[in-house]
Amino acid sequence: MPEKTGLVFFPAFDWAISPTHPEREERLLYTKDQLFEEGIMDLPEICEYKARLATFKDIARVHFCVPEIRAQVTEAHLIAAGGTLVLADALMNKEIKNGFALVRPPGHHAMRVVHGNRGFCNINNEAIMIEYLRKKYGIRKIAIVDTDVHHGDGTQDIYYHDPDVLFISFHQDGRTLYPGSGFTHELGGPRAFGATINIPLPPGTTDEGIHYVLEELVLPVLDDFQPELIVNSAGQDNHYTDPLANMRFTAQGYARLNARLKPDLAVLEGGYAIESALPYVNTGIVLAMAGLDYSYVREPDYRKENFIQPPEKMVYIKELVEYLKEIWKNRTSLGQQKQFHEGDFYEQKRSIYYDTDHIREQQWEQIRLCKTCPGYQMITSRGMYPYGTTRTIFAVAIPWQACLNCQEEARGYYQERIKNPQGLDFVYLQDKPHDIYYQFFVEKDCEIQIE
Amino acid sequence: MIIGIDVGGTYTDAVLLKQEQVLEKIKTPTIPDDLLTSLLKALEPLLKAAKNNQIDRIVFSTTLITNLIATGNIDPVALVLIPGPGLNPNTYNFNIPDTFILSGAIDYRGREIEPLKEKEIKECLEAVRARGIKRVAIVGKFSQRNKNHEEAVASYFKQHAPEIQTVMGHQVSGRLNFPRRVVTSLLTLATQNRFQEFYSQIQKVLAQRGITAPIYILKADGGTLPFAQAFLKPVETIFSGPAASTLGVLALTPSGQTSVVLDIGGTTTDLALILSGKPLLASRGARINNHLTHVRAFATKSVALGGDSVVQVGPDSSLEILPQRAGAAYCLGGPQPTPTDAMRVAGLITIGDEKRAREAMNKLGSKLKLPAEQTAALIIELMVKRIAREINEMFLAWEEEPAYRIWELLQKQKIRPQNVVGIGASAPAILPLLGKEMGCRALVPPYAEVANAIGAALAKVTLRLTFHFDTERNFYFIEETGVQEKLGVKGQLSLADAEEMAFKWLRQEGEKLGIPPGEEPELVYSEMFNMVRGWTTTGRLYDICVQFPPGILEDWLERREQNA
Ligand SMILES: [Zn+2]
Ligand SMILES: [Zn+2]
Ligand SMILES: [Zn+2]
Repeated sequence: MPEKTGLVFFPAFDWAISPTHPEREERLLYTKDQLFEEGIMDLPEICEYKARLATFKDIARVHFCVPEIRAQVTEAHLIAAGGTLVLADALMNKEIKNGFALVRPPGHHAMRVVHGNRGFCNINNEAIMIEYLRKKYGIRKIAIVDTDVHHGDGTQDIYYHDPDVLFISFHQDGRTLYPGSGFTHELGGPRAFGATINIPLPPGTTDEGIHYVLEELVLPVLDDFQPELIVNSAGQDNHYTDPLANMRFTAQGYARLNARLKPDLAVLEGGYAIESALPYVNTGIVLAMAGLDYSYVREPDYRKENFIQPPEKMVYIKELVEYLKEIWKNRTSLGQQKQFHEGDFYEQKRSIYYDTDHIREQQWEQIRLCKTCPGYQMITSRGMYPYGTTRTIFAVAIPWQACLNCQEEARGYYQERIKNPQGLDFVYLQDKPHDIYYQFFVEKDCEIQIE
Repeated sequence: MIIGIDVGGTYTDAVLLKQEQVLEKIKTPTIPDDLLTSLLKALEPLLKAAKNNQIDRIVFSTTLITNLIATGNIDPVALVLIPGPGLNPNTYNFNIPDTFILSGAIDYRGREIEPLKEKEIKECLEAVRARGIKRVAIVGKFSQRNKNHEEAVASYFKQHAPEIQTVMGHQVSGRLNFPRRVVTSLLTLATQNRFQEFYSQIQKVLAQRGITAPIYILKADGGTLPFAQAFLKPVETIFSGPAASTLGVLALTPSGQTSVVLDIGGTTTDLALILSGKPLLASRGARINNHLTHVRAFATKSVALGGDSVVQVGPDSSLEILPQRAGAAYCLGGPQPTPTDAMRVAGLITIGDEKRAREAMNKLGSKLKLPAEQTAALIIELMVKRIAREINEMFLAWEEEPAYRIWELLQKQKIRPQNVVGIGASAPAILPLLGKEMGCRALVPPYAEVANAIGAALAKVTLRLTFHFDTERNFYFIEETGVQEKLGVKGQLSLADAEEMAFKWLRQEGEKLGIPPGEEPELVYSEMFNMVRGWTTTGRLYDICVQFPPGILEDWLERREQNA
């Protein structure tokens, strides 16, 4: 049994969205100071790894980037995503017992289709890591617990129709915070009902409330689902000093959460209290994952008496947990009741807003309702950019579980649209069973295979 | 004229240099447990050779600190720690029974987040006195960003117990890493007096011989320090041997190239790297007694493989070189076959008795049903392949070191050596084969056998200053010197201003160490971070590092180029 906790620390000290943007060079500076001054990297329980660059193929396994991958990612993105892959390899090679990728830029708001930056994210680091793990090591069932204060809408979107990836997100209620989603009724697509669970918490929730959710809902559900791996999408903006949110979580709270959740891999997401929270929260998480005593980790202004949960909030949280437990218990029958669709496809339409880049996207999604597999997906997406330009794409995604029939059908649809691409700028095929990814450029009439 | 002396574990090497010439060289066995006599034994003939010419400088590289620590011949020290929140201080294993932990905390910006408690300091001093402790290292987390707590404790001790010797963490190293600062502070205090004693003796014997030349000590990072300064941080002179040989190679080979330096000895082969003419420093501080420290040292690797390693036929009927020595080579009267015997049979060397070497090869060969020549060739091949593999692994390890910036990560491309440069007894025999194996040039420079003494003699005085400016707190500190001062600048300090200030400091401090005013300092790195409150910039952090880098005295290099 490996004993060490792997760390990839990639603070990208030379990358920012803009000089005063929360996602800037300085974000992990004080975390570096704290971790290095503690001597964390020298501990026998810790093994530090160097990040590497993810390939375009690693990205194409998850995303449809418009107009192409190159336009959506910088070297910093490739390194942040690649950092998670280094730990995935180390874990699977049994060099480490668990790992924490302290990387930026973050990724959990990046959806399957990428027209631009949403919520500081362009590409989804966790999803890229998970698809890499599945491809390279044949991992099937994975659970993601999103502990960021924001709803992990990008990760939810990517795995909404995948019954083998359990996505659990707790976050500040979407009625009070970006991105305004993550409600209890978002439970997964027709073939993956119940594999998405959202726990919207009232502003001001403390350690007590979050630990209640963890103990009473998250851990029992994980126990039922029996994933091969647990991934913590580890945002730190539930912290009581975070400038972008309003929760009351502490460094001790985060450390204990990780000690109880025991994620195999954790990937840093948001968290913008770069002085008052991050140095302490990150130290706490690292120590907890390494099985070291974290009881001495404390914010300078922490006073126990300031963190009492009002009783009415606890009542609300308890009811929420009860409600979701019921759904989880009955997910199979509830899922069947919801599938009243006639025909071969389940369809949904929606619009998505990119806050950072001011892009509006309209999406029409079709999921093949197959009796033997989770079905493939077809997405038509139209991005409306500032200054009036638009781009429209058609994308076919074949999941790795797809039956041979579905695979053939899906490839057929892609071929058909390549021949008949009217109204489209790009056509994509994400063929996971073959691990081959194509993008067709309509204007240039040329198809490339992404490597 | 310059004198360089390297007192190593086995041999003491010494050279007398005049301009680009080696006037005299000495190689003599080191007398165990008597560094002073070893040193004098090497020095006397050099002084004779110098006749009455003026000696301009003498540089020593010794194993003094290594020996003191290895033999436990150091002074007991108590530890007073101010760790603040974070890791449980009991997680650190310093092996110091007299450890005291005080309340109080400083954060990463140098702000006090918890005051000291005077009552605790008082009780601590009482306990220290009751146990008869004479030396105390006082170290706080983030003391390099605010020394007030360390100073308050130290001055309390000074006032109430002036007989107790103290050292403060921020004086020893300002680099991040509290546990390494603790270990380095401990070692500093534990060796200071003995270091002083030893060098007083040296000064005395030199004075008796009428020598007034300035004396320098070589450090692990390849720089030299005037003797008087070395007293403050004696532990920095540990592991100066590998630095001496690397600098020696730098002095004896073409400049600007990428080379592997190999010192092939009897029991070990020591490796060091020169990348584009610059010796590679270890990214972590030196490991001493199994503890990491803040001592900057060359990146070196010691492989348990040398000319005297024992060779045997393993259980699977193949030759293996064991990582130990049983004595001298068989051809030199030793008990077991060794690579040296193989080299003798192969005609690569001429030392030792050929008949005995052949006997050793036959002993092994009979088990393999091979003649002596073929057995010898196999052993040499084994040795060369192993060294080549270790060299490649060393480059790989360098590539795999963490990087925290995009440019750093992208820049660490695959680099492979142009030269393999060998010093040590077996080098001339092995090097040509190793060069062939690795596809690069093999060099055995002239005077290779005393390259370390040449390296010591020619090493430059170095100085590195790392600045941390915090314009919001209007404050700056210097890692290496423990300076923590108000900036006293009106308005925002620009990055250019900060760099200018750093260079000014460096020149001033350099002058004190005797660095000639014409010497060009270099900017190691310069980084700027905006501090933002809400969406407006309220201050900046600048991290700036400037240095006079390690290297070889300029005029030696210039004359060498002219003569070439
Ligand atoms: Zn979340
Ligand atoms: Zn967030
Ligand atoms: Zn199917």
